[in-house]
Amino acid sequence: MYKKTALITGVTGQDGAYLVKLLLNKGYKVYGTYRRTSSVNFWRMQELGVNRHENLHLVEFDLTDPGACIRLLEKTGATEVYNLAAQSFVGVSFDQPHTTAQITALGVLNLLEAIRFVNTQIRFYQASTSEMFGKVQEVPQKETTTFWPRSPYGVAKLYGHWITLNYRESYDIFGASGILFNHESPLRGQEFVTRKITDSVAKIKQGKLDVLELGNIDAKRDWGYAEDYVDGMWRMLQADEPDTYVLATNRTETVRDFVSMSFRGVGIELNWQGEGEQEIAEDTESGKLLVRINPKFYRPAEVELLLGDASKAKEKLGWVPKTTLEELCKMMVEADLRRNEVNASY
Amino acid sequence: MKDKIAFITGITGQDGSYLADHLLEQGYTVHGLVHRPDSVGSSNIKHHLADSKIFNKRLFLHTGSFEDATHLRRVIYKAKPDEFYHLAGQSSPRLSLELPEATVESVGMATLRLLEILRDLEHPSKFLYASSSEVFGSPATSPQDEMTPVNPTTPYGAAKAFSQQMTCIYRMAYGLQTCSVILYNHESPRRGGHFVTMKIARAVARIKAGQKKGLTLGSLTGRRDWGWAPDYVRGMALMLQAGTTDDYVLATGELHSVEQLVERAFQCVDLNWKDYVEFDQSLVTTVEPVAPCGNSNKAERLLGWKPTVQFDEMVQRLVESEIDKLTI
Repeated sequence: MYKKTALITGVTGQDGAYLVKLLLNKGYKVYGTYRRTSSVNFWRMQELGVNRHENLHLVEFDLTDPGACIRLLEKTGATEVYNLAAQSFVGVSFDQPHTTAQITALGVLNLLEAIRFVNTQIRFYQASTSEMFGKVQEVPQKETTTFWPRSPYGVAKLYGHWITLNYRESYDIFGASGILFNHESPLRGQEFVTRKITDSVAKIKQGKLDVLELGNIDAKRDWGYAEDYVDGMWRMLQADEPDTYVLATNRTETVRDFVSMSFRGVGIELNWQGEGEQEIAEDTESGKLLVRINPKFYRPAEVELLLGDASKAKEKLGWVPKTTLEELCKMMVEADLRRNEVNASY
Repeated sequence: MKDKIAFITGITGQDGSYLADHLLEQGYTVHGLVHRPDSVGSSNIKHHLADSKIFNKRLFLHTGSFEDATHLRRVIYKAKPDEFYHLAGQSSPRLSLELPEATVESVGMATLRLLEILRDLEHPSKFLYASSSEVFGSPATSPQDEMTPVNPTTPYGAAKAFSQQMTCIYRMAYGLQTCSVILYNHESPRRGGHFVTMKIARAVARIKAGQKKGLTLGSLTGRRDWGWAPDYVRGMALMLQAGTTDDYVLATGELHSVEQLVERAFQCVDLNWKDYVEFDQSLVTTVEPVAPCGNSNKAERLLGWKPTVQFDEMVQRLVESEIDKLTI
């Protein structure tokens, strides 16, 4: 018999894949939902070797359809719901603010309404994000820090966070909100800066790309490893009380540092020169230009610095990040070297 | 003369990608709408992304979606297309029974939002809506043509009918050059794996390669009017290149059963289907509608359009493409 049944929305994403693996290993029966498109892709679950697992059921679903949310909960009988689905690209949210609001904000409400209607004992995890801190009001950021989102994505996520708390307080629903700082892995999409960097570094090393172009490399982020973070999600739903938790490493580095670290992973030391849009980096040995700034990657409103304090998660959930940024970066560069070797990099 | 500019929604789908290929070949500049940037690299247009003479020179991709009407308006005003092909939308009648509200948004309301934008353009584009034989549902007559009344039996069909009628209303009310093409089933190697044709072709390739033992199907009696997708997108382009815009049915006019499809697919790899196919009654989900069969005489008469690939050839191409995919 299955111990429990869980439902994960957004199963084709990075966190979805790691959470599927974690829950299957714990003996769960898992329903994973995804949105139908002409190019739907299960490569992440394939890389983890879980896509054909007998206890995993993949379901076509759309968070914007309220009736479908109710039927999904009734049909699956899930007792834990992890809402990882979202329009999650910060940059895209400036072009698609309304779509982002429909999926990332009101999608959460659709699920909470369904829980309220179907069974208020269902435990609910909302994937909140450090983007809600945006223009940070305090360093480091913790659960009590004032929010100041800087993108339609951040604003939509903030709605999802507050409506989860509101349903917790109004209807006694076990709604947990995990404010996760950046968490990366070899399964990150190439639209995200870390993966763009490691994939480009691999391609430059193999002579398939000349120069890496980036936007704001002064942005500072608190980067952790996604597999560590999904364990934190699970812990939040096993706790006695629903609550809000920050998951972070409590270390912040610039994008520039992550670039240097990645090149070091393939044996290249960078020599940074210039400032602002003129800043470049060359290979210290050969003098070849490897990194330059392209202002087209700048955002209308930038988040400059994120640094999280996860003391509460450590104290109440026993959660601590296990992977250092150096280990994470190495893991990502090695995966991209391997993939680009056989031209199979997604 | 200035190159023509086309705008395609649903450019990463089967039809959108063939249409982009076709129009680029004819010298067009093509703009495409994609709703998520992460799937473009593995989509049906990936072959253009690596081509530096095409990508961002004559092929431009814009992120956007139909909920964001104002962003869409900005993108379209800037692109100033001569021809607009609206192919995007959730594509499964079966799934529309599960997700009716989301389907009606993406298939129905999306078209109305586009028409609202085109109406306000200084030089309104010619507009083609890709409708479907599903608008006929269970038709009283066979074959169906442009005069057959719509009578949808799924939320998908109803949303398609809504879009088709709105397209017609904007032609009459505002004098826009808008039209609908009523497409019968059309297949290709770029079809997604959830369509029955691809399910069968893929299974046959795997059985031949020894990776799979058999194939389980619900029913073999369903019949369809199956054509070859590139023929159909060529027809779409002819429709907007014609002097007057009008509605057309594109179909082969021939019905074949799933049994014939299975038989032919196994024949392509010299196997007898009866040795491999099993039936599972639980896979029969809905009552099979009256087989839809289209009459495309009007398209032949006025556009000179005819399907070039027959049923046997189509099945063979699907199976061969699946065999190729296994060997890569």
